[in-house]
Amino acid sequence: MSLKDLLSPFYVWQRAFEKPYTSIRPIQERPGAAAYRGFHINISEQCIGCGTCHAICQNDAIDMVRVETFEGRNGDSGLRPRFDYGRCCWCALCVDMCPAGSLRMSNEYTWITSDPTEYHFTAGVEHTTWQENPLGYRRAEGYHLYPPKRIEMDMLAADKSVQSFDEVVTGYSEEQARLEADRCIECGICVATCPAHMDVPDYIRSIRDGDYEQGLQLMYRTNPFPATCGRICTRRCESVCPVGIQGEPIAIRWLKRFIVDQVAPQDYARILADQTGDSGRRIAVIGAGPGGLSAAYYLRKQGHAVTVFEAQETAGGMLRYGVPSYRLPDADLDKDINYIVSLGVDIRYNTRIGKDIGFDTLLQDFDAVFLSTGLSVPSSMRIHGEDHPRVLSGLQVLADVASGRDPGVGRKVAVIGGGNVAMDASRVSRRFGADVTILYRRRIADMPADDEEIHESQEEGCRIVTQAIPVEIIAADNPQQVSIKWGEAEMVQDPKGGRPRPVLQEDRMHVETYDCIISAIGQGSDLDFLTKEVQNQLAIEWGKFTPGEYQHTLLEKIFVGGDVANRVADAISAIEDGHHAARGIDRFLNPDAYSQNDQKVN
Amino acid sequence: MAPTTGHSAALDFAQPEPVDLSSGKYVKLWQGPQHPGITGNMSLELTLDGDTIIECKTHVGYLHRGFEKLMEQRSFIQNFTVVCRIAVPEPAFNEYLYAAALEAISGVESPVRAQWLRTLNLEMMRLASFLMWIGGQGGAFGQYTVANWTLTYRDYVLDLFEEMTGARIYHMYMVPGGVRAGLPAGFEQRILELMDNTDKLLDQIERVMYNNVVFKARAKGLGIIPPEMVDPYGVVGPNARGSGFTRDLRKDEPYLVYDQLDFDVISGSAGDAYERAYLRLQETRQSVNLIRQCIAGAPADGPFQADMPNMLHWKVPAGETYVKAECTRGEYGYYMVTDGTEIVRRVHVRGPSYTHAIAVMERIAVGTNIADIAGLMVSLHTYPPEIER
Amino acid sequence: MMSELLDRLVRDFAVTDITERPPAITTLKVSKENGERLIRELRDREGFTHLAFVACTDWIEDGLFRLIYMLHNYDSKQNLGVHIDIDRDNAEMTSIHTLWAQAWTYQRELREMYGINFPGSPRLEEDFCLEGWDDMPPMRRDFDTVKYSTERFGHREGRVSLEPRDHMQVQLYPTRGGDK
Repeated sequence: MSLKDLLSPFYVWQRAFEKPYTSIRPIQERPGAAAYRGFHINISEQCIGCGTCHAICQNDAIDMVRVETFEGRNGDSGLRPRFDYGRCCWCALCVDMCPAGSLRMSNEYTWITSDPTEYHFTAGVEHTTWQENPLGYRRAEGYHLYPPKRIEMDMLAADKSVQSFDEVVTGYSEEQARLEADRCIECGICVATCPAHMDVPDYIRSIRDGDYEQGLQLMYRTNPFPATCGRICTRRCESVCPVGIQGEPIAIRWLKRFIVDQVAPQDYARILADQTGDSGRRIAVIGAGPGGLSAAYYLRKQGHAVTVFEAQETAGGMLRYGVPSYRLPDADLDKDINYIVSLGVDIRYNTRIGKDIGFDTLLQDFDAVFLSTGLSVPSSMRIHGEDHPRVLSGLQVLADVASGRDPGVGRKVAVIGGGNVAMDASRVSRRFGADVTILYRRRIADMPADDEEIHESQEEGCRIVTQAIPVEIIAADNPQQVSIKWGEAEMVQDPKGGRPRPVLQEDRMHVETYDCIISAIGQGSDLDFLTKEVQNQLAIEWGKFTPGEYQHTLLEKIFVGGDVANRVADAISAIEDGHHAARGIDRFLNPDAYSQNDQKVN
Repeated sequence: MAPTTGHSAALDFAQPEPVDLSSGKYVKLWQGPQHPGITGNMSLELTLDGDTIIECKTHVGYLHRGFEKLMEQRSFIQNFTVVCRIAVPEPAFNEYLYAAALEAISGVESPVRAQWLRTLNLEMMRLASFLMWIGGQGGAFGQYTVANWTLTYRDYVLDLFEEMTGARIYHMYMVPGGVRAGLPAGFEQRILELMDNTDKLLDQIERVMYNNVVFKARAKGLGIIPPEMVDPYGVVGPNARGSGFTRDLRKDEPYLVYDQLDFDVISGSAGDAYERAYLRLQETRQSVNLIRQCIAGAPADGPFQADMPNMLHWKVPAGETYVKAECTRGEYGYYMVTDGTEIVRRVHVRGPSYTHAIAVMERIAVGTNIADIAGLMVSLHTYPPEIER
Repeated sequence: MMSELLDRLVRDFAVTDITERPPAITTLKVSKENGERLIRELRDREGFTHLAFVACTDWIEDGLFRLIYMLHNYDSKQNLGVHIDIDRDNAEMTSIHTLWAQAWTYQRELREMYGINFPGSPRLEEDFCLEGWDDMPPMRRDFDTVKYSTERFGHREGRVSLEPRDHMQVQLYPTRGGDK
């Protein structure tokens, strides 16, 4: 034992005056670190109630509850997360997973109360002292619990695509589809927005599981046109996909297409195993477009006999005659249609109601009629000289191409309009070797066409001139040509807060000569086959029906749907109209089969 | 010279003959399960002859929370929040090994920056744990002043954990595929400052505690682990190094960036409590040094998480692995079996305390004075939660 | 060197399923009958002096428990996992408590958590973690933890959670969607 060892303990005095670590509460506050995982903050206006926080919580500490201030709407369930701090472990996986980026944590960590049941609150809805706290845990940039970027879709290069009518989008490989399907967080927010309310998360899961037959079954529950919608759907689901808020939305449309592409048409009957009985009832469907055939499919499944009357020589309606095959190849459209027809749907082609058969006859011969005649009449530009023979309609150009005829657009074409028909008429003209100029009244952002159609038409070399208002069509020196006078427009704010309006600038006029001018500014309905008396009874506004619940009109046998009966006029809405009308027709024909709460009684 | 490894046939694993308590000669005494010092909630059932222990039985289960079972009911990412709780004073090793096991099975490689940050985190963890241990060892021999110092400094390390990870104890920082965030602004400077102060503290502790005549008198010769006991009893870490073995997984089977760090394996020879305590003090200093190296070496930019699939329904391919790391007490390991589903098939957590606190403790406690049993328990550095899992 | 060893183990102990696993593990399978003998041989002659752990995986669908003995050779730094499949209904394995001092603790745990018997292993019947346990060995996969806890512990009153997707259907399109 050395003397040094005996003395060494006394060195403790060296630290006698060191500042203690402890602090005296409540006199001294000790805030958590800047990124501390303290109490939850939810920016409830930013929250979309997708429930992903609830799904990831391993402690079952988060409930999704109704709150007074929020209602369900597109892209927001209206529910908000409620935290049970008896269970929370402050792991912040809920924050990391939150696709809306609304959930975060404050650095506050003391909450003192004598009542333990109080530790239960709806963040961002009930008042807390930490809701406005700027500090606390956030998901770090560069750290993700799911891949935020979409798997790129391979497409034909523009210089290739413009040379043929081959499909531009090549489709996902199996590996790509699995990777893309893996990104889905299965919240189901998209289901409400999809007009047909397709079981999106479920069929995406079937891709992850590699079970495409189940995927097909799930899609046919709500949509008998999956091959079509997998290509040209307006995909409003993707616009509300929560993954798109801080990243890119799931490519729902391409995944749908992938499933259909995996199943051969001859396997459909075995996989879907649709039962078609015989109820003894006969339904007439007018128009073999997506609305009419969707109704036919679900009506057949209910056991009703269906006869479809179609004015054209093939089925498909606008899908056939309005969508070029580089977007929707005939074979894929036929895949959908052929399966529907295979269930015993009788289609009478080249049969125009009002000309070949009277509408009255239908009403007498059938137990119900579903009307989905679509919009087939091109809208007028309402300018002088419009009836010039070198002014073509966009619809006619597309129909010619669909029927295998040369639309005869010439070498230099002007297309008037900003919708999908305008874009497609332009791209078709490019494929016939024309230089194309698109004239549109407003800005590109205002165009009703799909963004990718606008983008692809530009890629393919169409020139878009915006804020250009046609004023007059003038005969050109060469009878094979035509001139257009158009003026530049300025966008003027609407004092009432509506969207800005283009105002013609009289001093900035242009006259240009083209081989043809394609007018594609919209289309209207042709309801001449209905007598004035019937028309009056059917509540028609601006050439469109305004049906009630289950697509029912005021005339008891008549149901309507499709472009002629809804404002959005896209395929998926028509498909849902047809499905919904089928639900309505079954209820109309068999009221006893449904209970008080509208459930089918077996 | 390193002692010979291997098993000596002479070593007897037989359980002792039952003691005849009815003779009236012996006293039965329970050490624990109320927290007996720094060793956590476990208990020793001691049979005494006078004040000498003649039999020791370890009882655990007071902290059993069924983590391994729990993990078989949770998704892979959810378990990330569970594993840190398996060793309260050293959660980081659980986080690292859980992530490493998943990465091994799924073939994911975490980015370089994440590996440096993980190493930094693990060394900070080692420092915090050793600081607490030094306090515990001091406290067990009546030196509470040192305990106050080291716990204060441990709290300073926890402050830095709080900045780095968002939490003081259950950091949940090492997510499968990488880490959750880079270092906050000014962190490097603050940690280097603390490391300088920690060096000073450790010098003072050496003088006040290790040179202390009382500590020396009580720790020297206590709880000797003879080298021939090491392999047959599965002794690892400082407990093995104190008996002359230069074994350290950081050197022997390097993981993360340890092969890029400059350090030597520290070992002793006496195999008693003092040797182990002194060795741990040196390893604490080594840890301080490694933290400095990590701060210097960690890239300031670049990704800190690999591209990972969607964690909400991550299906890890079927596989099996065993990963290990050198924690403050030696070989810490995760054995994992996956079956291709979204749920893990089996996770077995291998902690050094499993043998240190039971087989080793029950043997070397015999013959010890009752007054020294708390010090001996701390000297083996055991954490019951990793036994019970 | 490892491959030589493995060849010999195949010959002398009929081991199968030799698999290299990342990061640095070799696993192999041996019959229950050869198990103890193989492990003893590895310990005494092949330098696998360190037993890292003994664990069990319940393959309930195959009706078996898979024991794993993780051995380590400190000199060659090799990790070797020995798999031994045993019948789940008559779960019994030769004890290795004479090979390592910590082995009996593992066996006691396996007895408690899986119901595996190790004849001759000391203190096998003593409670390990579970005092007064009255249900099936809880690490068996057919033990339902949720059911167990629901029967014994209460839940916080008044907690309800709605599924966003179902809630939106009720609120926004009650007559539509699949099956309607």
